[in-house]
Amino acid sequence: MANETEGKGAYNGFGADWAPTNLTENEAQRATDWVTQKIDKRFLLTGKDRKEDVRDIMWQLEKEGEIVVHRVGDHHAPEMAKTLYGWDKKIPTTNLWHHKSCGQCGNIPGYPSSVLWIMNQLDLTYLDETDQTSCTAWNYHGSGIGNVVSLAAVFLRNMHQAYVSAKAQGLPEGTYYPLIHCGTSFGNYKEIRGFLLHSAELREEVKKILGKLGRLVDGKLLIPEEIVHYSEWLHVMRHRIKERQQIDVSNIRTTVHPACHVYKMVPEDVIYDDTVMNGDRVAVTTGLLNSLGTQVIDYSTWYDCCGFGFRHIIGEREFTRSYAIDRKIKVAVEEARSDVMIGHDTGCITTLDKNQWIGKAVDKVYALPVMADCQFAALTMGAHPYKLAQLHWHASPFEGLLEKMGIDWEKAKAEFESYLEEVKEGRIETLYDPKRAITSGPGYVKPPKSLPEKTEQGA
Amino acid sequence: MNAHTKTTQPQIADPVSEKPVVAYEELEEIFDDIRGHPLYDHEIHGCLNCGICTATCPSAQYYDYSPREIVQLLWTENLEGIYDAMHEKIWACAQCYTCAARCPFENSPGGLVMIMREVAIKHELPSVKEVLRPFSRVLLKVVSTGNQLAPNMITREAFPDWGPNVAKVDAPLMVLRKAIPMPTMHTLDTAWEVNLRTSVELYTIWEATGVLKQLEQVDENLFDVVSDVMEEKRDEWEEWLEEQEEDDDDD
Repeated sequence: MANETEGKGAYNGFGADWAPTNLTENEAQRATDWVTQKIDKRFLLTGKDRKEDVRDIMWQLEKEGEIVVHRVGDHHAPEMAKTLYGWDKKIPTTNLWHHKSCGQCGNIPGYPSSVLWIMNQLDLTYLDETDQTSCTAWNYHGSGIGNVVSLAAVFLRNMHQAYVSAKAQGLPEGTYYPLIHCGTSFGNYKEIRGFLLHSAELREEVKKILGKLGRLVDGKLLIPEEIVHYSEWLHVMRHRIKERQQIDVSNIRTTVHPACHVYKMVPEDVIYDDTVMNGDRVAVTTGLLNSLGTQVIDYSTWYDCCGFGFRHIIGEREFTRSYAIDRKIKVAVEEARSDVMIGHDTGCITTLDKNQWIGKAVDKVYALPVMADCQFAALTMGAHPYKLAQLHWHASPFEGLLEKMGIDWEKAKAEFESYLEEVKEGRIETLYDPKRAITSGPGYVKPPKSLPEKTEQGA
Repeated sequence: MNAHTKTTQPQIADPVSEKPVVAYEELEEIFDDIRGHPLYDHEIHGCLNCGICTATCPSAQYYDYSPREIVQLLWTENLEGIYDAMHEKIWACAQCYTCAARCPFENSPGGLVMIMREVAIKHELPSVKEVLRPFSRVLLKVVSTGNQLAPNMITREAFPDWGPNVAKVDAPLMVLRKAIPMPTMHTLDTAWEVNLRTSVELYTIWEATGVLKQLEQVDENLFDVVSDVMEEKRDEWEEWLEEQEEDDDDD
């Protein structure tokens, strides 16, 4: 039988009860729009049965004397935020221990330096030290080498170091609270925390290892009350950042690339805010860009990943660059006419920033600046684009964006090149006293024994 | 009773390949390792074959890969299909976890893929070595230092497709690194300067959790290199501890 609807975008369906809808083109479009709107809502994330707040188990285990919880205390000046289901999440705003990202520090150094610089501008206290490993989850997701026990041991080891780190300065344990820079570390740590809280067997196994390392507190595992990503910190600080904004960015069209491991892993712990995109999208980064006054442009592939793939960016780059160009960069340029794409994770920024030039090989020529939310925020607060935001490490063309923001990039570049001459002579500017970075082992200088205990110390 | 019923002892083999057949017992062992993984029950709860996971999967758009198929193979205990998928398909997954976020059953196909990758390594499937060969530089870095990436790994030679603008200011790498205003990042071999104690503690974790054994299964030469680095760092740490004791005695 000839298909009457052939070529009109309809399909035949199946089963005896099936009947064509006979919708007009307009009606069909309305129906499709309705479905599209629905699937973009929180429904697909929230319409599930098995959701629980693992913090309830955490408090119970502490009560039973099995674990110790590193609390977000008053000295961390917490701000409250709401997560996917409307639960409260406590975001510490000061006395923070920077859990760095290996990808950021190796490849996008302006990312962490912008976070620290903003903290300096806001007179907040922090510690950036050498005694930390990466979460090792990039490797795990890429290669399969590693396992839940190794990931849990690394997580708890780093969290313990954050807890005890202040002792090196003669300050009490628990002074500093971990702030996770990397999206994968954030997602992985939250997932592992859930496994640990659910499994006595896993706790037992990891406890043996942590005991061997001398990283138990009163013989117990130490688990942080909240696992906090730096983008969450930026989110709760956005109004204070706005107060210090020096550059008008109301003419800038921004697109946001949300990181999968930030909001798709353990989604119930992610911040949503009804005032940001009607609460339909994760609030971090978009909320900040709204506060700074940019035009945040929504686009059809917002939900897609960047193409990083963990293993793919190293060994199967054809996938990574094709996906990055076709599904993100091209759409942001052609559909959203974006001036800049803003992200909040290591792998995404790397992927989207570095994989544009190669498009020329297949006549897909796009030029879209890509940077992290903290770098963009720092620029609006007057940070130096090279010395501080370190934009010269980015492959995407940011110069046009800076011009649109009214920043003289040529002058700034010349200043930076002249600063490099100072660096060669050993005259280096840093955001904090370098001696504070070493808290044990070779190079560590013990604090004077007479130093009184206190909970605050200027960065 | 398992959905998969053992009626005969079939062997799996490609009819046009000279590769050896795989014994049924090995297929069972592989599946038992997957099913016995501590996270297996957390990652799979059922499957309606709705395909939301595949519809939203980035890898499904570019590879012969479907997260729905992975869940179905495991849920129906299709041992031959599982074995087949473990050679190539599981390595296509980009680990974005979009599938997990959207599955109405709260399955995590991405999490199941990780279990299958771990088991593929344990059983030393030939595809593992092949797939992970380009990853060996990263493996060496992460296992020996705890950092996955180092500034001196990002070169125009290593990433020619990133174009000529990887560094937009022409200066020696170490000078550029020292111009980063965070002292922990004035490094070339690691993303940040790693405390000696951190490395030594990490090695204890690798040993206690079987990670070194996994590494040996994937690349024996790499394992040897890492072992040497570990020994060196541990000696260095012991020496430092001894020096400290001597200093304390002097006090």
